[in-house]
Amino acid sequence: MTTLPESPAKGQGVGAATGNDLAHRRAGESVKTVAAMNVRCLLLVVAVPPLLAARPAEAGEPDHWALRPVSRPSVPSVDTRGWARNPIDAFIWRRLNEAGLTPSPQADATTLARRAHFDVLGLPPTPDRVLQTDRLSEPYERLVQRLLSNPHHGERWARHWLDVARYADTKGYVFFESRDFPWAWTYRDYVVRSLNADLPYDQFVLDQLAADQLDLDGRPNAQAAMGFLTLSPRFMNNTHDQIDDQIDVVTRGLMGLTVTCARCHDHKYDPIPQADYYSLYGVFRSSSEPLVPPVVASGVATSQDDQSQKAYRSELTKRSEALHAFIVKAHTDMLVSSRRRVGEYLLQAQRTLAQPPTDDFMLLVEAGGLNPTVVLRWRVHLEKLEQAAVVEGAVDRVWHPWQQLAALELADSTPFADAARDVIQKWVAAQGEDRTDTPSPLNSLLINALKTTPPRSLEDVSRLYSKVLNDVETAWQASLDEATKASQPPPLKFADNDREELRQVFHAPGAPANIPRVFGWGALALLPDRPAQGVYKKLRKALEDWLISGKGAPARAMTLEDNPEMYAPRIFQRGNPNRPAESVPRQLPGAIRRGPPRPFVTGSGRLELARAIASRDNPLTARVIVNRIWLHHFGQGLVATPSDFGTRGAPPTHPRLLDYLADWFTSDANWSLKRLHRLILTSATYRQTSDHRAAAHAVDPRNHLLWRMNRRRLGFEAMRDAQLSYADILDETLGGKPRPAMFTGKTLDARRSIYGRIDRMNPAALLRTFDVPSPQASCGRRDETTVAPQALHLMNHQSLQILAGRLASRTSGSSSSRTSQLFQLLFHRQPDASEARAVSDFVASFGDESGKGWTAVAHALLMSNESQFID
Amino acid sequence: MSSFPSTPAPLDRPGLSRRELLERSGSRLGIIGLAGVLAQAGELGAAPTTPEPTNLTRPRSPGTHPLAPRAPHFTPRATSVVHLFMNGGPSQVDTFDPKPELTRQHGKPLPTRNLRTERKTGAAMGSPFRFRPHGDSGLPVSELFEQTARHIDDMCIIRSMQADVPNHEPSLMLMNCGDARLPRPSMGSWLTYGLGSENQDLPGFIVLCPGGYPIFETRNWRSAFLPGAYQGTHIDTKQTNVKKLIANINNSHLAPELQRRQMDLLGTLNRRHRDRRPGDDRLEARLQSFELAFRMQTAATDAFDISQEPKHIHSLYGDSLHGRQMMITRRLIERGVRCVQVWTGASQPWDNHSNLKKSHADLARSWDQPIAGFLTDLKQRGLFESTLTLWGGEFGRTPVAELPALNGRDHNHYGFTCWLAGGGVRGGIAHGTTDEFGFRAVDDVVHVHDLHATMLHLLGFDHEKLTYRFAGRDFRLTDVHGEVVEALLA
Repeated sequence: MTTLPESPAKGQGVGAATGNDLAHRRAGESVKTVAAMNVRCLLLVVAVPPLLAARPAEAGEPDHWALRPVSRPSVPSVDTRGWARNPIDAFIWRRLNEAGLTPSPQADATTLARRAHFDVLGLPPTPDRVLQTDRLSEPYERLVQRLLSNPHHGERWARHWLDVARYADTKGYVFFESRDFPWAWTYRDYVVRSLNADLPYDQFVLDQLAADQLDLDGRPNAQAAMGFLTLSPRFMNNTHDQIDDQIDVVTRGLMGLTVTCARCHDHKYDPIPQADYYSLYGVFRSSSEPLVPPVVASGVATSQDDQSQKAYRSELTKRSEALHAFIVKAHTDMLVSSRRRVGEYLLQAQRTLAQPPTDDFMLLVEAGGLNPTVVLRWRVHLEKLEQAAVVEGAVDRVWHPWQQLAALELADSTPFADAARDVIQKWVAAQGEDRTDTPSPLNSLLINALKTTPPRSLEDVSRLYSKVLNDVETAWQASLDEATKASQPPPLKFADNDREELRQVFHAPGAPANIPRVFGWGALALLPDRPAQGVYKKLRKALEDWLISGKGAPARAMTLEDNPEMYAPRIFQRGNPNRPAESVPRQLPGAIRRGPPRPFVTGSGRLELARAIASRDNPLTARVIVNRIWLHHFGQGLVATPSDFGTRGAPPTHPRLLDYLADWFTSDANWSLKRLHRLILTSATYRQTSDHRAAAHAVDPRNHLLWRMNRRRLGFEAMRDAQLSYADILDETLGGKPRPAMFTGKTLDARRSIYGRIDRMNPAALLRTFDVPSPQASCGRRDETTVAPQALHLMNHQSLQILAGRLASRTSGSSSSRTSQLFQLLFHRQPDASEARAVSDFVASFGDESGKGWTAVAHALLMSNESQFID
Repeated sequence: MSSFPSTPAPLDRPGLSRRELLERSGSRLGIIGLAGVLAQAGELGAAPTTPEPTNLTRPRSPGTHPLAPRAPHFTPRATSVVHLFMNGGPSQVDTFDPKPELTRQHGKPLPTRNLRTERKTGAAMGSPFRFRPHGDSGLPVSELFEQTARHIDDMCIIRSMQADVPNHEPSLMLMNCGDARLPRPSMGSWLTYGLGSENQDLPGFIVLCPGGYPIFETRNWRSAFLPGAYQGTHIDTKQTNVKKLIANINNSHLAPELQRRQMDLLGTLNRRHRDRRPGDDRLEARLQSFELAFRMQTAATDAFDISQEPKHIHSLYGDSLHGRQMMITRRLIERGVRCVQVWTGASQPWDNHSNLKKSHADLARSWDQPIAGFLTDLKQRGLFESTLTLWGGEFGRTPVAELPALNGRDHNHYGFTCWLAGGGVRGGIAHGTTDEFGFRAVDDVVHVHDLHATMLHLLGFDHEKLTYRFAGRDFRLTDVHGEVVEALLA
């Protein structure tokens, strides 16, 4: 591979002032520019000393910078001529200085106040607040402090986190059940609350991965944190895809590792073997959602009396027991039937061997038909035997006769009965030869049966197998009963080897007939026929209805809990669950492990995994979150690919600063996000103007080195919330159920945008139009597009008319006074003469209908660039 | 990687030069939008004319329009795509793949075992429809598509299509997004990502589905990890009031001349704001987007307004739901919309597990004249060669009857028929064969991935190089599969 983009990642071509280049290419630099940079980059690779990592790798450490332990670089001792306010500035200054650049001056108080309000709260300041800052009656530091303790801060930053958590209020496409996640909002509220309370980030991570296993003394609602794992798209209830999504949100979301690339093969670029994927797969496969999730206190004291609570609970018990009993019975029936009808299954599985695979189908069968899941398990079993026979020449004592006779059926040269007789005679003879000390080569019960009743077809053979296996099963059940009657411990096996190996056909772990019992939607596989599925769906719906909308139903936390039995993961060849290969332990991926591998010992291992992620020793966790916070303050990350810290991601522009912040965050700040915000917000770097400077632009056009503040466009939610605020109709209520029609309705919902219902199946066109990410997968950074449908929405949607009308009605007086009031409300400045004239001319064109004219003015201001871009 | 052009193709290369684009905007589009976009894009001369195969985490800078037209990897044969989606799965043995042996065995079990499909199937079911040869090529088409068959010498019948499973949802995803399960962008999204659109006053990828959504709903035309600008825009063509077809297309409060003035006021404010903030092309881009949107209000309603079509065109397509859909489709293609997907209707109309004879006849009758008229109209307007039309469902149907009756067919992904027309495909050929009963494709099998690769090829793309970086790797429509089927190319 000589592909260019890899070069900077390997070669550390980041040093030169204009360098940074390729891997840091920001949103859509033209390819031509990049192509030009490619060339330069290649040259730089040779010429520039490594600056990629904060420090060079020590012996035994990983090659890749992001996987090396974080250690705190010293703060550069540089003379910033009084500019620097905190350590961030020293790092920034040094890089600017090396490039021959200087920082921009501090922005004026109004600009800073607007910037900080939008950044911290996602809402504009009120004009009197701006005045306060202007008059220095409130110093900037105090403003920052005040904003960080405002409860709207949690809403603003929760929305950033919800992008990472691919939050939605629905499951996406599902076949039978309701699409709604009735309690997704409890997770959203958990995030808002935690950020407002400045819950330490390590605890925040622990909660989201393993709240079910933590002592939540005093914080019972933290159970809801596990929505991070459970609010996933449901992939039509395909377990493997759901787990894949959970692995993705955990590894990419929390650590910037693209582990899901290793689902089908070892990661092509990063040190993530396929085995590591299945180690994590085992963790999540060993957990499931309880049918009746735990209650989350609504925060409002319930006035429900005990009596009605009792009634609610007793009905709940009734309905959940009905479902439970049905599944237990369906499972037992299936076990019994898959044993009793083993001959039919065998035959059917043998026949499907010659057919195209049906592994992924959903097959519908009539009542009484063979269960496709069982057929598939038999088929996989037969394939494995066939492979062993062909590749290793294995002669299976139970299955060799079946394989041989099945082959005879295909070779239809001689009549089956004749050919079968010959081969059975040979087996009988061989059995006789070494009857005494060495065991016979084949299972003698089977050979006897074949000898006694010579088969005329493969159907006959299948019936013989069925009879022999079921005879053994009957004997086994009888011996169990006997032991029970005699109050003896039940036998563990048959003493006789021939019988025991036949017993194993039904009872060995993982045997085709030994179907595991599942209570989630996987239970549908137990019930392939429509009538039975109908009953199941009815019972399930009855339970869900009661859980969600029964009289007095409380909100619940979407938790996971460890299964009674842990899943022992095996690598799936090429990601195909029907091709299990080597076993792997449930344990940490090598990339984030220190020392030798240690299999998890507690339950699923989820808590151990969580602790290893929420740890100072994890090289990625702190770096990744610090970078995410930085990204939202500056509009660009220190690492341009916030969810990919692998070798294919972008290297950091300021590796030492990133490591400094990561270490400072976990030690000095004790994982406090608010302290990190404050450090960034009060830095001189953050306070710079966003003005263009031609000379600096010529050196560093993408502002990688932060010679100025980036001007930022408001995202959809902040845009909409600000408009509500300008119109003075923002409903500031915190939390609660999602607002169903906020993004689809014809009118206006005055709650903040974070409370609008997100439909994963059919995301509101409005949201996608404004680059709100698709909730199908974790998103670390939004696209920023400018398209006409955005403008059309602002120009013509009914809600903007309402907002404009309300905004206009906040003003009164003369034309120039109203103009001035509007400019103050939205832009926090006075209009200049040309603007004032443009407005008054425009209003004049409405003649007598000046009220309509002022609404149209307010509407124009709500759409304006000045209201959308924050300097 | 060495096969990829070492420098990005400049816009003035053959196939889609800047001049050509402008010319086309004059003659073909007749709309002022493009000039605005060119001005707005600013950097178009230096624009990313070739989607970079790697490291393309964002298609272009935030200041440029994501739908600005771009040239593909090599000279394309087709510049737009029309996908006629027969959702539910039309039967191949009743339309374009005659099986006399099946008719002979009608009512008897097949000599070979039935392949496993979603439901239990039984005896052979001969087609209740008559086939006869058409055109110079003499290719047989059933009476269901007699009128469409007039174009048979320009149609490329692929009889050996194959998908992966016989269930609707995964097969819809495979046909539309190239992956049966995971969230991937649709083909229309990939195309608008790769090519942009030639009309900035309309969405680049438009989906017509009357009466609601098909199974799997908007996921059929989603953009997944590609930016939202590339998602399909769904239009419910059951709605006949043009003003109500498109969201936010008209203002109910301001008369057009007053809204024009409002836009002027907005422009004044935005220009003053921009002038004081040099060096930020996003400000200009957003300023321009309002001008585009204002023009779009007229242009879009105009595009959907088939009352402007003369009487003889109405009678060519027929005055029916699909006639209206196809007339709209032609108007969109004419205006430079990159990709139009036209569905039969909500849910899965072609899914005839029973009563196939009547249901298929009704469905085909509703489509036959509109399709024939559409192809005729494309030809008479010189659009046929630049428009790649694909007809087909998410899979076909079994030649054997679904139990217990003998009047319907189950889903069949082992072998089915799609056809292509225009856009540089070989006309008058039937490619590939199914077995003697039409159950499974046996010769020259064309998997859905191969179909995608071939279509991308006709649009000027190496399907292995139209990629997008997401979650640590470069994704493409064909994932790790797909081969261009050379035999289909003219």
